[in-house]
Amino acid sequence: MASVCAASRLLSKRISTQYPVVDHEFDAVVVGAGGAGLRAAFGLSEAGFNTACVTKLFPTRSHTVAAQGGINAALGNMEGDDWRWHFYDTVKGSDWLGDQDAIHYMTEQAPAAVVELENFGMPFSRTEDGKIYQRAFGGQSLKFGKGGQAHRCCCVADRTGHSLLHTLYGRSLRYDTSYFVEYFALDLLMENGECKGVIALCMEDGSIHRFRSQNTVIATGGYGRTYFSCTSAHTSTGDGNAMVTRAGLPCQDLEFVQFHPTGIYGAGCLITEGCRGEGGILINSEGERFMERYAPNAKDLASRDVVSRSMTIEIREGRGVGPEKDHVYLQLHHLPPQQLATRLPGISETAMIFAGVDVTKEPIPVLPTVHYNMGGIPTNYKGQVITHTNGNDKVVPGLYACGEAACASVHGANRLGANSLLDLVVFGRACALTIAEEHKPDKGKIRWHRLRRDRTPSGSSGPVHITCLLHCSLWCLCCLPRRETVPPDAQCRRRVCGQPGQAEEGCDKMDDIYQSLDDIKTFDRGIVWNTDLVESLELQNLMLNAVQTIYSAEQRKESRGAHAREDFKDRVDEYDFSKPTQGQEKKPFEQHWRKHTMSYVDPKTGKVSLEYRPVIDHSLDEQDCAHIPPAIRSY
Amino acid sequence: MSLVRFRASASRLQSLVFTGCSRGVSGAVKDKEPLKKAKTPQGRFDIPEEKTNPVLEKFPDDVNPVTKEKGGPRGPEPTRYGDWERKGRCVDF
Repeated sequence: MASVCAASRLLSKRISTQYPVVDHEFDAVVVGAGGAGLRAAFGLSEAGFNTACVTKLFPTRSHTVAAQGGINAALGNMEGDDWRWHFYDTVKGSDWLGDQDAIHYMTEQAPAAVVELENFGMPFSRTEDGKIYQRAFGGQSLKFGKGGQAHRCCCVADRTGHSLLHTLYGRSLRYDTSYFVEYFALDLLMENGECKGVIALCMEDGSIHRFRSQNTVIATGGYGRTYFSCTSAHTSTGDGNAMVTRAGLPCQDLEFVQFHPTGIYGAGCLITEGCRGEGGILINSEGERFMERYAPNAKDLASRDVVSRSMTIEIREGRGVGPEKDHVYLQLHHLPPQQLATRLPGISETAMIFAGVDVTKEPIPVLPTVHYNMGGIPTNYKGQVITHTNGNDKVVPGLYACGEAACASVHGANRLGANSLLDLVVFGRACALTIAEEHKPDKGKIRWHRLRRDRTPSGSSGPVHITCLLHCSLWCLCCLPRRETVPPDAQCRRRVCGQPGQAEEGCDKMDDIYQSLDDIKTFDRGIVWNTDLVESLELQNLMLNAVQTIYSAEQRKESRGAHAREDFKDRVDEYDFSKPTQGQEKKPFEQHWRKHTMSYVDPKTGKVSLEYRPVIDHSLDEQDCAHIPPAIRSY
Repeated sequence: MSLVRFRASASRLQSLVFTGCSRGVSGAVKDKEPLKKAKTPQGRFDIPEEKTNPVLEKFPDDVNPVTKEKGGPRGPEPTRYGDWERKGRCVDF
């Protein structure tokens, strides 16, 4: 260990002489070019700011492009509607862990946001009258849950996310945003607790670029890839969360990860619940329809979290199928093929392409799959990143976050369908508006120059990071196998905290894996397009996310929304909301769980420390829209 | 190169040795195999369109006859099972 420290000190002296570092100065830098990043970038350019958009992927390749569902907004085109009812649905969906001021902001802005997208040229589907067609989706109701099903979901055929991303990208080209495509953001430049910019690695030629700016917006997306089975792209590695963690700032509610029970094993696509609705059954290695034991009445049609948990328990108890015994089967071949073809057109094609099975003869291998991360970088409703000290929220100057990377928190403990695309555009725009309010653009200040022997401490750890990976041959393990072993462990340990002790076991195992990160070695020593290096950096980012997720999950001793535990099955709030609150004694903050988890990690040791922050229960304007007091969540 | 072209008509063998490809009388390079364009993505646009996927066909005029939605998703209603379904895959829930 000592020799490693000495080596890295020597390297940091040599770094500025050997590696070219280019300085840039902008009024605002946006990291990430998905739905939220693009909206923030051109919102800033429109306001006159000299903006840079630093992204590791070409903008139209971001994971937003895979969001095929719709976007919710209370436009009222199909029946009378009110955004306050959408507000109620979202607060209830979040299991009262969402911050009601942020949800108020999002649902009130929703109709304007959708109309704005339509004006940008997004081709929503239309009714006969030419208004945007809205359909029922995502747990939406009328009249605060009492008026029946609401139709709020707007879509573009079946490619809403793809269309959104292309519309935003096309629109952003009208403004002079500078795109830095295929630049991997390494770290934030922090000085005295203020964010002064970002340092990034140009993947094309290996040079390091420092982007200095008064305003940095993080929109890097989620971290699905910490799990073996996820629907996310290979690039969803939680880089923004990791950058913020390394800067000593907290991440919020990382234990809330949304799972779907039937994702195709190995491929990560989800199989619709309609399969089970039409009569499909889940079977284990003994050929048993195991859902009968866990949910005797609903059986395979039980709610998603019950099904996910049942599947995980079966796998843990050794009744999984396949060579690794790590998944179960979804059987459809007992249904008449005609019925499958008429009721579920396209399923045979899907099963053949993604699972390689003929659905009329063989079962489909499935296991619970990660789809969305509700947690992320904590922000207020304006998009400013916050920390929580001495019982108060404190804004981190110069740093903003939006999209899946941020946690505003509008989704709380569970995200409703079609709300995440809305989250992207509303908070992307909110970041741009907040920056425009707080600062004036400073025109004509780009300076490009090669760095002299750099003395400034900020940002120097990033390049040292890289040189350690490139140069030290003391270490032995290759990056690639590591990336494959971390996720399956995370998957098994995290998904079900079945019996007491399993969660702790998961934490210990995760600690061991974290320590083994020291042994990473890259085999590619080149400077141009070193994907081995980039994947190693992504692995380090994934580890930071994984470690916080599992510790936060282990500590949270209740079941709320997407966080479900066998050993603590109920929600623990300050009052027991199944009875009238009058006459009940309010539990102190330390004894209930209706609070946000704020997790910090020491990157050297991997030690996680947790603090808690209260949920914001008031809306932005109580006269206009009263807050929703907590209640039992039942549909 | 110019020397080869000058002598191409006289000696095909020589041009084969020097440049590795056959040349016609005019000296232009002749491919031994037919063009591979037909197999490339660009080439596929030149051949007549294959039979469209019968699973999810476009509605006439792109208007759903039941819901009268114009420009909407093809095939049965994607939200009929409570999640957003397309070709058996769930994309949102």
